[in-house]
Amino acid sequence: MGIHINHIYKAYEEKDGEMQYILKDFCMDINDRHFICVLGKSGCGKSTLLNLLAGYLKPDKGDIYVEYDKIYGPSADRGVVFQQHALFPWRTVSENVQFGLNIKKNKNAKEIAQRYIDLVGLNGYEDKYPSELSGGMAQRVGIARALANNPRVILMDEPLGALDALTRDNMRREIERIWQATKKMIVFITHSVPEAVYLADRVIVLQEGQIAVDQLINLPRPRDINNPMFQDYVKQFEAAITGADADSVITE
Amino acid sequence: MMKKSKKQISYNTSQERRAKLDKYFKAISLISFFVIWELFGVINDKYSWIDAKFLPMPTDIVESLYNFILDGTLQTHLFISVERVLSGYVIGVIVSIILGALIASFKIVDNIISPILNLFGPIPVMAFLPIFILWFGIGENSKVILIAYATVIYMVSYVTEGIKNTDSLLIRSALSLGATPMQVFTQVKFKAAFPNIFLGMKGALGTAFGAMVVAEMLGASTGLGYIIVFSKNWFKMSDMMMAAILIGLLYTIMFGILSVIEKNLFKWKSKTNGDAIES
Repeated sequence: MGIHINHIYKAYEEKDGEMQYILKDFCMDINDRHFICVLGKSGCGKSTLLNLLAGYLKPDKGDIYVEYDKIYGPSADRGVVFQQHALFPWRTVSENVQFGLNIKKNKNAKEIAQRYIDLVGLNGYEDKYPSELSGGMAQRVGIARALANNPRVILMDEPLGALDALTRDNMRREIERIWQATKKMIVFITHSVPEAVYLADRVIVLQEGQIAVDQLINLPRPRDINNPMFQDYVKQFEAAITGADADSVITE
Repeated sequence: MMKKSKKQISYNTSQERRAKLDKYFKAISLISFFVIWELFGVINDKYSWIDAKFLPMPTDIVESLYNFILDGTLQTHLFISVERVLSGYVIGVIVSIILGALIASFKIVDNIISPILNLFGPIPVMAFLPIFILWFGIGENSKVILIAYATVIYMVSYVTEGIKNTDSLLIRSALSLGATPMQVFTQVKFKAAFPNIFLGMKGALGTAFGAMVVAEMLGASTGLGYIIVFSKNWFKMSDMMMAAILIGLLYTIMFGILSVIEKNLFKWKSKTNGDAIES
């Protein structure tokens, strides 16, 4: 069970007759019900990895399996939460959450949507349009929309990246709570190290398309940022991201 | 939080008050225009600066309108003009949406149709009227087709651009929620393009009216455009102006109806953050 990434190659461009691979002979297995965080600098291949998992990109070589089913393109199997909320602006909160259920012609769409709206704490906002919501609220609707479709895995592409620091803090706790309530497999892309240590069961640090660190986080939840072990993890991953050239400490 | 929302409300009301004042201002300007025109006419009668025949006063135009209504001809002309412009416009809008959707969806249709549209686009619509009359006869067909053509030439690019410019993130999220390509088109691309399509519809109403007036001025025996030409031959200035004003009024009413529909359709657009603040 889980996700099985089997020797994938992906390049966007060619240089001097050689393919410039973002991901080269990349392998990874993800266990069911795990919360995975993928860390790395811009250009390390983490977004490419997520886009391949979502099916928006196709690998040049190799395949990806979700619960033994090969990925051919985007599908309702894999829910995606984007950095920008990507809600349909002409649909209300409730209608947005119902989108996938309507596609499946689910007769209980409204009730199911309501359940997930309640779960993300937006009770009372069902009839608002996305333009009336704050960034954090819109992001919660995005999460509810992905969950309501009951996918096998949820892919999150820096979902907190566009939020301000305070909201970001709140949302981090919210995501942990929602994950614990649903126990979905989540692949979470971020470049905030503390965010990854706070949320993940397992942290993957990517560097130039290779796995630099693959570490299980053995800390009880909810996690305390001031715990020395927490800080040790943060230091370890920061060092891995920065890599050999310690001069470029700008990790965004 | 309370303070913030209160501020928002008072800001809204002061803005509403300003808008109301602006409305009065505009109404007064319009009324003054006719009053000054009338006054000038009255003075002109005394001193004869201009031949009064060529400058009818607003009251003369009202008199013309009264006479036209009285002998029942206005209703006929007005009705036929509305019928022509509406049927041509509606056909044009439907054709534009279908054509625009095909161009935006299939590269091959784009490659076939777009060069032809670009070839005909810059030619003023009016230039086609004689051709259409020879092709489709002097009756209603040539007029309705000219109006439809004027609508399509103006509107089709709005449809195409609207569909093509759909945010790719919305397409991605629809696909990841299980939508088929057809559902992506009907549920996402078309709806995302709708405000742009409506913009095209509003603009096309103007070109449709232009085409209607030209079609009625050339080779018609009914309609508001015909009144203008007919009155010109008899030097009936006030009749001409009455017809022109009616055309303007008709356009304004139809544009107003479109605006009301737009406001109701795109409620999701006009709303702003309001009191929805992250708790």
